[in-house]
Amino acid sequence: MPAIADRADIYLERFNDALARSADEPTWLLERRKRAMERFLQLGVPSLKHEEYKYTDLSGLADGQLLFATRPAGAEAALPSYAAGSASDRATAAGPQVLGRVPQGARVQSLAGALRAEPDLVQRHLAAIADYEDHALCAVNTAFFADAVVIQAERGAVLEEPIQLVFGDGPRDSLPRVLIVAGRNSSVQVVETYAGSGAYWRNAVTEIYAEENARVDHYRAQVESLDAYHTGRLQASQQRDSFVSSFSISFGAAVARNDIGTRLNGSGCECSLDGLYAVRGDQLVDHHTSIDHAMPHCNSHQLYKGVLDDRAKGVFNGKIFVRTDAQKTDAVQSNKNLLLSDQSEVNTKPQLEIDANDVRCTHGATIGQLDSEAAFYLQSRGIGADRARNLLTYAFAADALERIRVAWLKEHFESLLLDRFASQEP
Amino acid sequence: MLQIRNLHVSIDGQKILRGIDLDVQPGTVHAVMGPNGSGKSTLASVLAGRDGYEIEEGSVTYNGQDLLDMDPEIRAREGVFLAFQYPVEVPGVTTMYFMREAVNAVRKHRGEEELSAGEFLKLARQKIGPLGMDADMLKRAINEGFSGGEKKRSEIFQMAMLEPKLAVLDETDSGLDIDALKIVADGVNSLRSADRSFVVITHYQRLLNYIVPDYVHVLSDGKIELSGDKTLALELESRGYGWINDDVVPQAVAGV
Ligand SMILES: Nc1ncnc2c1ncn2[C@@H]1O[C@H](COP(=O)(O)OP(=O)(O)OP(=O)(O)O)[C@@H](O)[C@H]1O
Ligand SMILES: [Mg+2]
Repeated sequence: MPAIADRADIYLERFNDALARSADEPTWLLERRKRAMERFLQLGVPSLKHEEYKYTDLSGLADGQLLFATRPAGAEAALPSYAAGSASDRATAAGPQVLGRVPQGARVQSLAGALRAEPDLVQRHLAAIADYEDHALCAVNTAFFADAVVIQAERGAVLEEPIQLVFGDGPRDSLPRVLIVAGRNSSVQVVETYAGSGAYWRNAVTEIYAEENARVDHYRAQVESLDAYHTGRLQASQQRDSFVSSFSISFGAAVARNDIGTRLNGSGCECSLDGLYAVRGDQLVDHHTSIDHAMPHCNSHQLYKGVLDDRAKGVFNGKIFVRTDAQKTDAVQSNKNLLLSDQSEVNTKPQLEIDANDVRCTHGATIGQLDSEAAFYLQSRGIGADRARNLLTYAFAADALERIRVAWLKEHFESLLLDRFASQEP
Repeated sequence: MLQIRNLHVSIDGQKILRGIDLDVQPGTVHAVMGPNGSGKSTLASVLAGRDGYEIEEGSVTYNGQDLLDMDPEIRAREGVFLAFQYPVEVPGVTTMYFMREAVNAVRKHRGEEELSAGEFLKLARQKIGPLGMDADMLKRAINEGFSGGEKKRSEIFQMAMLEPKLAVLDETDSGLDIDALKIVADGVNSLRSADRSFVVITHYQRLLNYIVPDYVHVLSDGKIELSGDKTLALELESRGYGWINDDVVPQAVAGV
């Protein structure tokens, strides 16, 4: 803590600016921001000594320079083709992060707009789902985020088209803050894309509140600059019979840390937390998941797959809590890693805390090389050794993408994988 | 076409093949029979180029070239085909994608034009029909969730697509009912030609009623103990393998 106090000048300085800028905000929000700042000053940027960060070196973030540094003017993020176009093309009413049309039955607003139109709803959920008391990175976002995107799906609305958010190199894109509230019996899909250029720290927080029998499919496509830090938090609160899925695509960033969690507050809930990471060079990607089974008859599935090459590192930690009342819980967790080089490595750990007795919880983790039998089989039909390896690598990774229900998103990343692993040799 | 001379092979220091000699001429069918564990699959694997075998002695010449010196994919492109005893499941790669790539690799090697997607599909439909399989099979991942019989028929399909010069079939008949067996045998017979040879590994004489061999060899304890014509298979069927090592039988012609 003292170490942080020394280096916190920039955070303190900027916090005063942020408060001045937020002067119009309601008191409850200012209180939450101040509390978050207080907690951040106490917690500091987590060091390698912190149990939850022991493989993930975030020391480069301690001084805050990467978060607050002015981004070079004119730098245009290398956005995926589906999100191409400049910020000015985007819908402006809800902020420059919203891409394309907002489907019928949904409302997408900026923080100011939502505070005007739905003050109670915002107060109930914003900075109320993702904990910042014990989560320093979430505390930083909560203290400093300049704007938020507030997405609401009306009661009973089934939105066929996903709502797309794009976070690039814009001045307010470093601290993305999203709140998704899915009304009773509604169904909503949200695709968040993160891309940038140069060195920076993006620290994102998305909160999801799924009302009774609602469905939320959330996708995050992280293709940040290879010099960037990306820390992202997704936290859901699920009410009775709701369904939440999260798919985390992690291809970019020098260091990426994703904290993905949901709390199943009613019976009959289901969640599916999945991901694919493909990293190389000296990249590090860390997924920490947390599923809190608080009530009976809920199902959770998790499948995270990773492909690691060169000296890349992967970290997976999957927490499943099954509380005393959560009988008949069915929780399945799987983390599968493919190492393409001798120097790549993965640290994977399931962490189950089970307080109910009539439950089924399974977990499995694999870290392996390509199946040499399969490679030989392909070779024995005339396919070259390298090509056989690439095809198998592609197949391993593309399998995870099967869980993406947005066709164009799935196709985009399939072709990215094809380019990377299976493009024809000349 | 193929000359195997005094081939000694071991796995992890354990001797499996102890001096195999075999000559296969173009257009001939050789049946290889023998008890479990006698080294039949080892021989097949060594011919196809699987890793993990130590060649301690001997040589294998294929169309005048040193076969053991070639990578597996080169062997395949040169016309060597192995129908696996246990075909491998490859999740995530469809048979269609796999075979198109394989066929084109072979064609390229032979200096032929690659097939377009349409041409490939037409050819694949042509080859798959007679095997009693639906063309939908092409869209499934390689061998994934296939029944034993489907896997064996898929091997024959692959063979038909690749049109090899030397096909080694490792127990392609095992576990097949009589109808499936006939389909597989028809598949093989339709490929028989003056410049194509087969080495058919089997436990059962039954198959040889449908694929009539020119020669039958008995592999026992890593050696070819006995060779003869198709009547040898009938004798093995009635007498088993027990008598082979006891009797002093002059080595019959091992190929011509
Ligand atoms: N990978 C391996 N490692 C160690 N030993 C092996 C390996 N593969 C085969 N063997 C041994 O080599 C011997 C020959 O095996 P092989 O599979 O060639 O026999 P086979 O004649 O094909 O038998 P089957 O009729 O049961 O298919 C056996 O004793 C087997 O246990
Ligand atoms: Mg065998």
